[in-house]
Amino acid sequence: MAEERRGSWFGFGFCGFGQALGSGRGRQVHSPEPLETPGPGADVCRVSASWSYTAIVTRGGQVQLSGAAGGAAGGCRDAWASEALLVVLRAGPAVGSRPELQAWAPGSALRGEPLWTHTLVSEAEREDAAGGEPQARALPLLPGARAYVSPRPPFYRPLAPELRARRLELGGEHALLLDEAGQVFSWGQGRHGQLGHGTLEAAPEPRLLEALQGLPMAEVAAGGWHSVCVSETGDIYVWGWNESGQLALPTRSLAEDGKTISREAGWPSEGDSDVRTVGSEDGAPAPFIAIQPFPALLDLPWGAEAAQASCGSRHTAVVTTVPAE
Amino acid sequence: MAEDNREPLAGAGALREALWALLPPTKEELVPELGEKVELGMARLLQEATELFCGGRRSECLQASEAILDYSWEKLNTGPWRDVHKDWRRVYAFGCLLKAVCLCDEPGNAPAVAEALKVCDMGLLMGAAIHGDILIKVAAILQAHLPSGKRPGPARQQPGTKKARNDGVPVPDVASERPVPRLRCPSLQHFRKQFLAPGRPVILEGVVDQWPCMTKWSLEYIQEVAGCRTVPVEVGSRYTDEEWSQTLMTVNEFISKYIRDESRDVGYLAQHQLFDQIPELKRDISIPDYCCLGDGEEDEITINAWFGPRGTVSPLHQDPQQNFLVQVIGRKYIRLYSPQESEALYPHETHLLHNTSQVDVENPDLERFPRFAEAPFLSCVLSPGEVLFIPVQYWHYVRALDLSFSVSFWWS
Repeated sequence: MAEERRGSWFGFGFCGFGQALGSGRGRQVHSPEPLETPGPGADVCRVSASWSYTAIVTRGGQVQLSGAAGGAAGGCRDAWASEALLVVLRAGPAVGSRPELQAWAPGSALRGEPLWTHTLVSEAEREDAAGGEPQARALPLLPGARAYVSPRPPFYRPLAPELRARRLELGGEHALLLDEAGQVFSWGQGRHGQLGHGTLEAAPEPRLLEALQGLPMAEVAAGGWHSVCVSETGDIYVWGWNESGQLALPTRSLAEDGKTISREAGWPSEGDSDVRTVGSEDGAPAPFIAIQPFPALLDLPWGAEAAQASCGSRHTAVVTTVPAE
Repeated sequence: MAEDNREPLAGAGALREALWALLPPTKEELVPELGEKVELGMARLLQEATELFCGGRRSECLQASEAILDYSWEKLNTGPWRDVHKDWRRVYAFGCLLKAVCLCDEPGNAPAVAEALKVCDMGLLMGAAIHGDILIKVAAILQAHLPSGKRPGPARQQPGTKKARNDGVPVPDVASERPVPRLRCPSLQHFRKQFLAPGRPVILEGVVDQWPCMTKWSLEYIQEVAGCRTVPVEVGSRYTDEEWSQTLMTVNEFISKYIRDESRDVGYLAQHQLFDQIPELKRDISIPDYCCLGDGEEDEITINAWFGPRGTVSPLHQDPQQNFLVQVIGRKYIRLYSPQESEALYPHETHLLHNTSQVDVENPDLERFPRFAEAPFLSCVLSPGEVLFIPVQYWHYVRALDLSFSVSFWWS
């Protein structure tokens, strides 16, 4: 097992709920600040941020909540935070007993009884959960990759084993799956083009992103109504809703200066980021794109390559590297 | 409760007094009562925002309101509109209320009042009623307090300007087509027996002669009463086109951009419950008597405004309720096909558009849609003062021949 580089955690964004983002002063943290960790020397291995609270998991097995929901518990391998539900993967109660998946109401502070539990039963599930590697098979994908957890009932959702899921991400109304071969599947609602199949139709079952065939992906991320994936060669592909500029494509709401109703009414504009005008071949500026129904390749500035992508409801963040000369 | 928990804000003006007089007197009554669909995080934020509001901490309250609006707006955009839980729409309306009132807290800041009115309208368009429809009252007060420069007055141009847009489409030869029958003030029984029960269209004359809208409504009047209100506008020739989109703008902007100017794009203030938003306009219309023949209650009747320039088109489609289409300004060419002809009209197969025909009625592609040519239909030019009865599920196609304002009543 390779030696894992342990980095530091940084946070930024809205923390009006007292989530431990950076210094925690004020309601908004505008640029990355070191995360306030639970206790000195706590070795944070997973952070799951919901809108009003954050769940932090340490290598010592502690899960701690901060923000609108509080509380802490031990014996925890992984946690996944959403407004409706906090899902925790815990070691079984007794030594050698089976690990257990628990769903808690965020307001319960992890006291009392969980809303729902599921004991990991199969060999594949147990082996995965027993392994020390927290980055592989992160929630909402369950150890063993035979199922995933959803914030809406039914909470436990099986996955066909043929899918060989490596990563699974849940958007507001859709799901993305990355398999062992680097292929991407999507399913759920498609009204905003977030499935990437070229239409606005829903897909009830996982469906392969044909547009990406032959391009092995390394990462996937799902936002409220958009999807992002990073290829093994560091390229970024985006699709779905671009109303707030979350795909870095030209968007009306950011381009028009104070003339649109959305701006004047103080509608949420996603910061004053640069809107790069994507030009067409004849030099004319490209039209605004509200919905991108199939994957589009993004150009990163300075020849940078993408390493990791992550999505909020209506924004996208990418960690890049600049290749050596 | 006797105790007023609010602190008076510095420099109260007439506007602020009028607004605060509308609000529930205590913090506890101001926080909206919501069910469990609204999760813990939002419930806390609502409490906090209300406390900030009552404590006079305006800029922090504005920040909290933005967060409330941000999150609830996302809920409003999740899933089909009819499945959006009303509590989220109430949350959104509440965020708009706090934001609008906070924006007006700076006395003498004119642009703030206009912005506050837009925020109110967003709450009315997307939110659900809270505190006894308080947003309507807030909007009325804000409208009255707009500085005179901003208040919409009579337009400088000539009334009813007909732009000579040469769209090349001739007025249809209605005389050669089978006409919709016309009746003058039929009795309820006659209408029910001959048209409602068998599902046959008819034009009713003389029924809306006394409605104030018939004499009062003009571009100038509409601008005066509603000019600075925000409304949804459909842009694009027809809603089945790829370039079709919906956007928001004030009525003034709509009139200036899509009615007075020679705009290449067609803009249509269509299918909007304008009369819920602007009660003053509702006083100019009534409800057709014949609606009492239905099973539903009067307050279940959906009243929509349809206001646009010459050339707006509603593609051939069917609706799930009975419809009275009242023509107030301008004329519309309308074609009607019986539900029995549905197969010859080639409805779209997608779930979203299954009530819409694929055929362009006045320019049909008969190679793709051969049976359309043989489908029988009725047609008419609906003129001001006339009311068209469109039976439930009856296919209809509408094109405006002039600047037009229609009011539709969907009833069951």
